[in-house]
Amino acid sequence: MKQIDLTIDGTPVTVAEGTTVFDAARIHGISIPVLCHQQNERPAGVCRVCSVDCGEKVLQASCVRPAENGMKVQTDSEKVRKARRMIVELLMSDHPSPCARQRHSGDCELETIAKAEGIGAPRFAKRISPRGQDDSSLVISVDHEACILCDRCIRGCDEIRHNNVLGRGGKGYGAGIAFDLNLPMGNSSCVSCGECMVSCPTGALTNKSVVRTVLPNGVPVAVEELKQLPYFQNVSGTFLELNANAVIKRHFKAGEIICREGDYGSTAFFILEGKVEIFLSTPMAHVSTDGGASGFIRKLTSRLTGADRQKPDRDRPRSISIDASVDLAYDNPVAELGEGDLFGEMTCMSMYPRSATVRASTDCVMLEMLRNVLDVIQRNKTLREKLEANYRKRALDDHLRTVPLFSSLSPEFIESLASKAELVRLSNGDVICRQGEVADAFYLVRIGFVKITEEHPGGDLVLAYLGKGGYFGEIGLLANGLRTATVTALDHVELVRIDGADFMEMLTRFPAIARELTAVAREREQQNSRHMAAVTGISLDSFLTQGLMESNSLLLIDLDKCTRCDNCVRACADAHDGVTRLIREGLRFDNYLVATSCRQCRDPLCMVGCPVGSIRRRNSLEIVIEDWCVGCGLCAQNCPYGNINMHPFEVMVKDLAQPGGQKAVVKPKATSCDLCADHAEPSCVYACPHDAAHRVEPNQFFKVYAETKIAERDSPATVRDLTAAKQTGTIARSPHPRDPRSAH
Amino acid sequence: MIFDELRAIQHKHGYLPAEPLRALSKQLDVPLYRINGVAEFYPEFHTSPPPKLRIEVCRDMACHLRGADRLIADLRQRFLPLGKQVVEVHERSCLGQCDCAPALTINEILFRNVNVRQAEILVQTGLAGLEMSKQSAARPAIELKSDPYPGIQRYGALRQLFETRDWDGVISTLKAAGLGGMGGAGFPTSIKWDVVKKAPGPDKYLVVNADESEPGTFKDRFIMTHLPHLVIEGAIIGALVTGAKTGYIYIRHEYREQEAILREELEYCRSEGLLGDHILGSDLAFHLDVFVSPGGYICGEGSAQLEAIEGKRAEPRHKPPNSATHGLWMKPTVLNNVETFANVPQILARGVEWFKSQGNHEAASGLKFVAVSGDVQRPGVFEIPMGLPLSDVVFGLAGGPRDGRKIKAFSPSGAASGYQPASKLDTRLDFKSMSAAGTMLGSGAIVVLDDSRCILDMALNSVTFFRNESCGKCVPCRVGSAKMTDVLTGWTRGKGVAADLELIADLSETMKQTSICGLGQFVPYPILTALQNFREEIEAHILHAKCPAGVCPMRGHGMVR
Repeated sequence: MKQIDLTIDGTPVTVAEGTTVFDAARIHGISIPVLCHQQNERPAGVCRVCSVDCGEKVLQASCVRPAENGMKVQTDSEKVRKARRMIVELLMSDHPSPCARQRHSGDCELETIAKAEGIGAPRFAKRISPRGQDDSSLVISVDHEACILCDRCIRGCDEIRHNNVLGRGGKGYGAGIAFDLNLPMGNSSCVSCGECMVSCPTGALTNKSVVRTVLPNGVPVAVEELKQLPYFQNVSGTFLELNANAVIKRHFKAGEIICREGDYGSTAFFILEGKVEIFLSTPMAHVSTDGGASGFIRKLTSRLTGADRQKPDRDRPRSISIDASVDLAYDNPVAELGEGDLFGEMTCMSMYPRSATVRASTDCVMLEMLRNVLDVIQRNKTLREKLEANYRKRALDDHLRTVPLFSSLSPEFIESLASKAELVRLSNGDVICRQGEVADAFYLVRIGFVKITEEHPGGDLVLAYLGKGGYFGEIGLLANGLRTATVTALDHVELVRIDGADFMEMLTRFPAIARELTAVAREREQQNSRHMAAVTGISLDSFLTQGLMESNSLLLIDLDKCTRCDNCVRACADAHDGVTRLIREGLRFDNYLVATSCRQCRDPLCMVGCPVGSIRRRNSLEIVIEDWCVGCGLCAQNCPYGNINMHPFEVMVKDLAQPGGQKAVVKPKATSCDLCADHAEPSCVYACPHDAAHRVEPNQFFKVYAETKIAERDSPATVRDLTAAKQTGTIARSPHPRDPRSAH
Repeated sequence: MIFDELRAIQHKHGYLPAEPLRALSKQLDVPLYRINGVAEFYPEFHTSPPPKLRIEVCRDMACHLRGADRLIADLRQRFLPLGKQVVEVHERSCLGQCDCAPALTINEILFRNVNVRQAEILVQTGLAGLEMSKQSAARPAIELKSDPYPGIQRYGALRQLFETRDWDGVISTLKAAGLGGMGGAGFPTSIKWDVVKKAPGPDKYLVVNADESEPGTFKDRFIMTHLPHLVIEGAIIGALVTGAKTGYIYIRHEYREQEAILREELEYCRSEGLLGDHILGSDLAFHLDVFVSPGGYICGEGSAQLEAIEGKRAEPRHKPPNSATHGLWMKPTVLNNVETFANVPQILARGVEWFKSQGNHEAASGLKFVAVSGDVQRPGVFEIPMGLPLSDVVFGLAGGPRDGRKIKAFSPSGAASGYQPASKLDTRLDFKSMSAAGTMLGSGAIVVLDDSRCILDMALNSVTFFRNESCGKCVPCRVGSAKMTDVLTGWTRGKGVAADLELIADLSETMKQTSICGLGQFVPYPILTALQNFREEIEAHILHAKCPAGVCPMRGHGMVR
């Protein structure tokens, strides 16, 4: 190779042709300050801090300037120093000094150079337009204010790791680093390999040091060992060291319980070796509503009421969704997971209670991890493919078939839909689709909860919360191709996205489905217009402020008629195994008492977070707690009106310690008014001897009420009686056959 | 072509929504960050839904002199209350219509010579959903000395060259004529072509830089309108001489009229066999097409232009190596200005002697198109003998200052050339004379200021232009131009301090020394020349918080932007 002779700061130097001035100097022990260049990356020459005098008209960035024969380089002349100082001063004038990196480890490269150059308070005014922070990633914190656009992270992401997520966005003074289409980092296709953060010279990309806790009961895993695992292979070592406390290795003996349903947790498990059994240990127990007058007898037998006694349900699922890559069969809620399986994702990401009990069926080795590490491996392309494949194989088919419309599809078609499905990750607050936008896809919920709302003048109306296995988007694809509602992620959500084109192909191939969908869409539209007519017709301040408008059904007691005999409470207890779900207390409205009893809210907050999806809305309006409730109590916590109670039930369960044996345990279960779904009328209403208790649909009731009030004002003789409302057919469960799971 | 794909998406949706961009990423197998990088970089693309009317008013030199600020303020006051779904009013960089200032676009339709009242009527017409009356694009036939083919068959030089096939002769002829680059640098064309010709390898390219975007510059617009055949003939000759097989005319997207003219002329050439696989029936091939720039002054920088043609962000490359050896797709590339190419057939058709005799004096050769705008009676493009004194152009051809005004200063070649005092108007317009007078000929874009103007106001206007147009690649230009704008804005608001003078001097030196490309290196020129020639006036702002011309807002007027 040709040799090049040049002098640097007076010293003769010989280097191979193609060597940059920067490297030529470095090889000969002369270090040139620089920010945008590091040895493992292709030089970019953008910070200009390494500018040197090569005897030309202008200074040259030494990191990109090839050495030339006879070149005389000055790396530290007055001219060079002045230029360098000015560049550093310019950068410092917009730098949030001390930046996160300087605060944590005192080694922000910009601030270090500034100090070395003796730059005090910059003479320029700070940038006015903020560039902002991005906290969306679980593991890396982005502070755009501290970014100097050295492009080191960009080269790390695209050229070293080939992840191709990071680039420059914007232009000029408004330029900045951007993930994918300038998304928040956490929503981008970033795999959290950490390379950008390791490359960053300032506090613009730093490790989120939220995780200081050392997970108990396990062995910390060495970085080298983690890097052997395919899912950590492409992750920066420094980055893994920074997160060392957040992942441990645990060994379980066969038979050992790994986690229990209903427990709160914050970790996920990844099976390295062995097999586990995942099951619901709480039996399918449900409070019977066969009662009535013979409540006492019923109470005696209630403990034994199991799944077999459940009435043939209208829409009971074939399987129960849990926080793993499998579903449990309703009849036999047990499944097996093995090497390479992941469970506890939802608990880990969104702190929901565990949905099932997991027991080692052989000796097992697991990685237990906190959400930042889970996020890293979930973003790993290899693992994602595996998770997606598992999901497709084990649960997608089931989930697709819960969509009534799909039940008639041929297995091949379901398979082809499944193969085209794409998994999408979202975080809290992300809007998945917006009312009025063009509908382009159909979605199934794999993990997490979404909220479905309709925009109306005066506020949004929550149509439903959907958890795992829920679906949405089919209506929008049909209803002239526009979204009829807005869907928002409530926590960490993963969705299965089926492209609109594939969906439409289905409709062409199965015209019966198209007809059915169109009918549903039309019906929904009619309902909505009826509903809105009712809502807009009334305005009663106190009624609204008490949140009553938010309910679908209220238990009202007319205090003028009520003698406080408590027959309603007793009837409720009789109907529900001696446990009343009604308390004759609560908010008052005029001469009515709004009894503390499930209001069947329009915005049923209780449904959010149920780890097994046992609290849900049926096709009619009532909110029911299905018999596979694991008793975690989250819904009771969530209900803003205190209308859900946890009641202990004594049940016989398999004795885990003693194979084949049984033992009696006390299990809590959530209870709430179920509107005595199996009777013509709620027991409380039926039992009231004074015609004081009524279940009413608030909109219609208050419409009548308001009319009555107006009539009364105009003519005091008008009878102020609820019978008026009764005659209009608004009493009790007004039929409202909207399927809340089906929307948009 | 990624820009064409993005244009198709934008045409369909009105902007660039995420979903089709994702689809495009898959289709082209290009990462999302790269699509976002260009979508956010170029002003032609919009990543958010457009309002009903998007009004963009040119804010630069000539339009600034003709009341663009007032126009913008008035339109904002009148129409912004309608909401941003209805109307947006933006500042826009020079549209190249300096002779018809102020200019604006409404939904990308160009309107020139627009006063406040006309603008309001236009917007109201647009809001009512009616068609805004387009200004006529009449193109009167003008006889120009530069055209060697008045009334005779065009492309004569090219046909003649085909008979001799003396490619080397072309280079020596250009050398003898002393043709220099007309984009402003004046670099000898013969040397550039020779380097490309001698560079090894079969793949070479040719690019016609028709991206003139410097405030005050619009002579290429004129040349492309009236002499498109000379530009194309020069390009074909350049390709045949150097061995380039593919060429692009890189034209700014705002020059729709000229784009159409060029496309028409290219079609004619193809039909005449002057372009294609077998030029004039020979085995020589050259394909030339129009490449429409998605916008931005930086695209006029040669290496940035090549990046743009490659579908990337137009960020200038590090030099060396130069584009002659490492150009488009890193292959040897001829890159010249429109006017340079237009000169080639003139020289070949009429000879070196004719070319030299066109100059106004010994040291000046050929004809030059100069664009005059600002405070003159007849702004426009003039064809002059190289070496004509500036005063002949400004007072003679352009009619001198407006009634009752005197000329105070002029900018010899747009924003980057800074401001010279009227006393230098006797300088001859050629590379050597201008350089000797301490200024430059540049691209011949003369912007004239009369005595009602504030030199600081104009310097700030120019520096702000550069800040707006900086690509952001390197620190000195990205941050330096912003900080310089801040400091000068402070001066116009009476917030200057004496120490600022040293600060600006230091900053200027660093920007000149360390910026990657000419844009960054020239950012300081407006204020440096202003300080050099009008120091008292500037110091009055800083030290006494007074604007002698009464133009700057000085104290008590708003915040520093």
